[in-house]
Amino acid sequence: MTNDPLTPLGVLEEQVLVAVLRTRGDAYGMEVRREIEQVTGRDLAIGAVYATLDRLEQKKLLTSRRTHGAGPSRRLFELSARGARALAETREMRDRLWRGVDLEAILQLRVLRTSY
Amino acid sequence: MTDLPVPLPRLPVALLRRLLPRAERDEVLADIRVEYVEIAAAEGLATAKRWLWRQALGSAPALLGWNWWRGWTGFEPQANAYRPGGPMLKSWITDARYAARRLRARPTYTILSILTLALGIGGTTAVFGIARPLLFDPLPYANAKEVVTFWMPGWWNEEEFMYFRGRIPGFQAVGMHRSGDLTMRAGDGPTRLLPGRIVSAELFDVLGAHPLLGRVFRQGDDVDGAEPVAVISYGLWQELGGSASIIGRRITLDGMPRTVIGVMPRGFWFPDPSIRIWTTRPLDPQGRNGSWELVGRLAPGQTLATMQPNLDRFVSMIHERFQYGPKGDKTKEAKFTPIRERLLGKMQPAVVATFVAMGLILLIACANVAALMLGQVEGRASELAVRSALGASRGRLTQQLVVEALLVGVGAAVVGAALAAAGFRILAEALPLGAWSSSTGFDWTMFAVALLIAIFAVLLVVLVPTTSLWRGDLRGSISSARTSGIQGRGGRLERGLVVAEVALAMLIVSGAALLVRSVSKLYAINPGIETKGVAVVDVMSSREMTSVQRRQKIEEALAALDTLPGVQSSAAAMKLPLRGGGDSFNVVIEGHASDESVFTYYRVVTSDYFRTLGIKLRDGRLFDNSDQPADSGGSVIINETFAKKHFPGENPIGRRLTGGFSGTWQVIGVVANVAEGALTDDEEATSYYLAGQAPMFEHQASIVVRTSRANAASVLEDARRTVNRVAPAFAIQETTTMSRILDEAVGPARQMMMLLTLLSALAMVLGAIGIYGVISHFAARRKRDWAIRVALGLPTSRVIRQIVSQGAALVAVGVVIGVLGTIALARLLTSFLFGVGTVDPISFAAASAVLLLIGVVAAFIPARRASTVDPALVLREQ
Repeated sequence: MTNDPLTPLGVLEEQVLVAVLRTRGDAYGMEVRREIEQVTGRDLAIGAVYATLDRLEQKKLLTSRRTHGAGPSRRLFELSARGARALAETREMRDRLWRGVDLEAILQLRVLRTSY
Repeated sequence: MTDLPVPLPRLPVALLRRLLPRAERDEVLADIRVEYVEIAAAEGLATAKRWLWRQALGSAPALLGWNWWRGWTGFEPQANAYRPGGPMLKSWITDARYAARRLRARPTYTILSILTLALGIGGTTAVFGIARPLLFDPLPYANAKEVVTFWMPGWWNEEEFMYFRGRIPGFQAVGMHRSGDLTMRAGDGPTRLLPGRIVSAELFDVLGAHPLLGRVFRQGDDVDGAEPVAVISYGLWQELGGSASIIGRRITLDGMPRTVIGVMPRGFWFPDPSIRIWTTRPLDPQGRNGSWELVGRLAPGQTLATMQPNLDRFVSMIHERFQYGPKGDKTKEAKFTPIRERLLGKMQPAVVATFVAMGLILLIACANVAALMLGQVEGRASELAVRSALGASRGRLTQQLVVEALLVGVGAAVVGAALAAAGFRILAEALPLGAWSSSTGFDWTMFAVALLIAIFAVLLVVLVPTTSLWRGDLRGSISSARTSGIQGRGGRLERGLVVAEVALAMLIVSGAALLVRSVSKLYAINPGIETKGVAVVDVMSSREMTSVQRRQKIEEALAALDTLPGVQSSAAAMKLPLRGGGDSFNVVIEGHASDESVFTYYRVVTSDYFRTLGIKLRDGRLFDNSDQPADSGGSVIINETFAKKHFPGENPIGRRLTGGFSGTWQVIGVVANVAEGALTDDEEATSYYLAGQAPMFEHQASIVVRTSRANAASVLEDARRTVNRVAPAFAIQETTTMSRILDEAVGPARQMMMLLTLLSALAMVLGAIGIYGVISHFAARRKRDWAIRVALGLPTSRVIRQIVSQGAALVAVGVVIGVLGTIALARLLTSFLFGVGTVDPISFAAASAVLLLIGVVAAFIPARRASTVDPALVLREQ
């Protein structure tokens, strides 16, 4: 899977996938948007979320089904095995990238400089 | 959930509703409503509203992209399996996708249609860019309709003007102007020439033109003792620094300080855009120099139609006061001309003719694309029939064709815009625009125009195949498709298009043929000079130089020029042949009755003038060293017409003339006639005086240099530098060659010919494509037919002959229609024609022959292809 062309995921794609996981079985469009907004503090348009969800489903990283019960019928999303792999792969790639990088030193320096 | 107490702003909700796919619309809107209510409760209504707007507007781009993407890929989420709801415009998107695939699969068809249409659009757009300022833009004068010019422009003088100034009936004001180029010398740089006009004080009021800065001329600016003032153009102001402090500043013009009193706004021009400075001069009530033009503003309530009585009164007023000879009689053919016609009229026929030609090419292009698409539609008859049998409505099938055509149109608009930008530059140079070329401009509105034309043309094109779709019996074509349509539909529409195309092409080609003939006749005229190998430097000296100083400087320059390598001789004259008009006066021949004055053009030239221009001596001698400078009187050389007209059966040599220049002038020689004015003017009596004996009173002069170099232009740079070095007080107006002056004298006809020849090449290419397309489609459709005949023993040469004659017949019909159209339209070209009528059999025959030949060649290619197929293969394949 290391050569999967789907990885690394785009930032929004990754956020949407993780948000689908975090909402645990209640992942419909609006909920995903709210989740990302709450965690990142970033204003997000519902249209962008839906477009991304569709794209991810087309790539088979998500599956969608419809709820039938009380209230309006909703399209619920679930991570597919492929989606889980893509997330893991993206995260692993990022960790590899960060290995051995020391940001602290630079940040400390900045703090020192600005305090003078 | 629907009856919540908080109403949602309607607009953003409607926007979202439009953009969301149907299947998911309700759930998303319901969720938005919930969240809106929450936010409203927590943070207030205003915040909630802002949030909703952000959601709607922020979603719009993503949703639009999403819609398109879903339509393009046909993606439908699993969850929507039982309630599919595609995006808006789904059918259009699918059609676009389908059309794009089809176009990619047929590159020849696609490229041909796009290119054809792009040529038509690009060309028309380019012409529009040129035509707009000349035909459509308003003049930069207030109520230009009230402004008229007087007859005989360039013939009025100050005496006349001062006599009737302010008294002309029916006018608010009448002003006067004439050419008045000035020299300006800034620092150590060479003297520069500023194209300018000398005007009377009321001129700007007549035009109703207001300055950007300062003031325009007012009463008292053109009387004796007035301070010398100038109004400058926006462009010159920018060059001089563009600061408001220019007003009141003194600049040195013609060696004399003048105060700048006003700057005209950008876009103002008079009488053409090359003019950069307007000045006044004290007007002389006795001034007889007749080179002024009159322009006036009608009194309120007057129109050109009501002016006739006023015109009559004015004519009798000048008739009482002035006596006129046969030349320049201002009481004859008096009339007022609207200023637009006077200033732009000369260019209009050229621009209109080009505009028409371009419109024809656009029509040809449309016909071509229609024919190409028609071929496509017929080829797809069975596909369309199957789809219609499966339930596709005709509207739906049409929509698909429309989308395909729109794609072609968009492609053509892009290519066409590029072509327009390139074509514009070619046209701007090719058309006889003169000073106007600077005012035309390629801009982005032109692109919008191109796009509009493209879309309009494409919709036009779509109509044609669509009508055949409506008319044709689609189900019938299924059955005929199975037998591969041995006798397909007649294709009448297609043939009609080719005939129309050929007819339109015929219009352009025969127009070009007419011009080729008339231009070749113009070049066949003998101008009386040898134009090859002569370089020309036009110089201008400042006005404060005396004529003696001027002549001395010119002679110094000539002496320096003679030493340049390759220079055989050089001379100067106040005016060169082939440049129109010129100075004239009346002389009296000694021994003839004294009241019998003789009208003659006169030229003041230096001694080597005849040798340098290659003017032949017919009798007597040319100027030589025995002709010494004198204060009055001396030698004169006359032309053949002078001799024939006024010395019939006598020997003019040794005869004496008086009048004109002071003193007595002895005729020493007779030279061949030279086209002194325009190339096609009647031959007029002309006399040549030697500079030094006669004064070089004009501050303009032309220096001519005969060189042995193959290219006379190669000496120009040397000549310019020499003149600048020897006589820095001269501003060089222009450097050119005598051949170029001849080209200019042949004039607009030559430029129109080049242009129309270019356009006819275009029309012929397009016509050939059309014929080729239609014939090859015919041939392909009847492939099986031909195969059976060949199998039964028809020789292939007969196949070729039959197919080619089909093409030739179409062309012949088109040519006949085209000739009729040409006879009607050739009037547009009348002003460019010389020596040929608008109905010229030779031109028509040549044009028809060319088009027939092209038709036969275009039909031959598919014919040959049809004749070489293996019948066994064709019959088996179908």
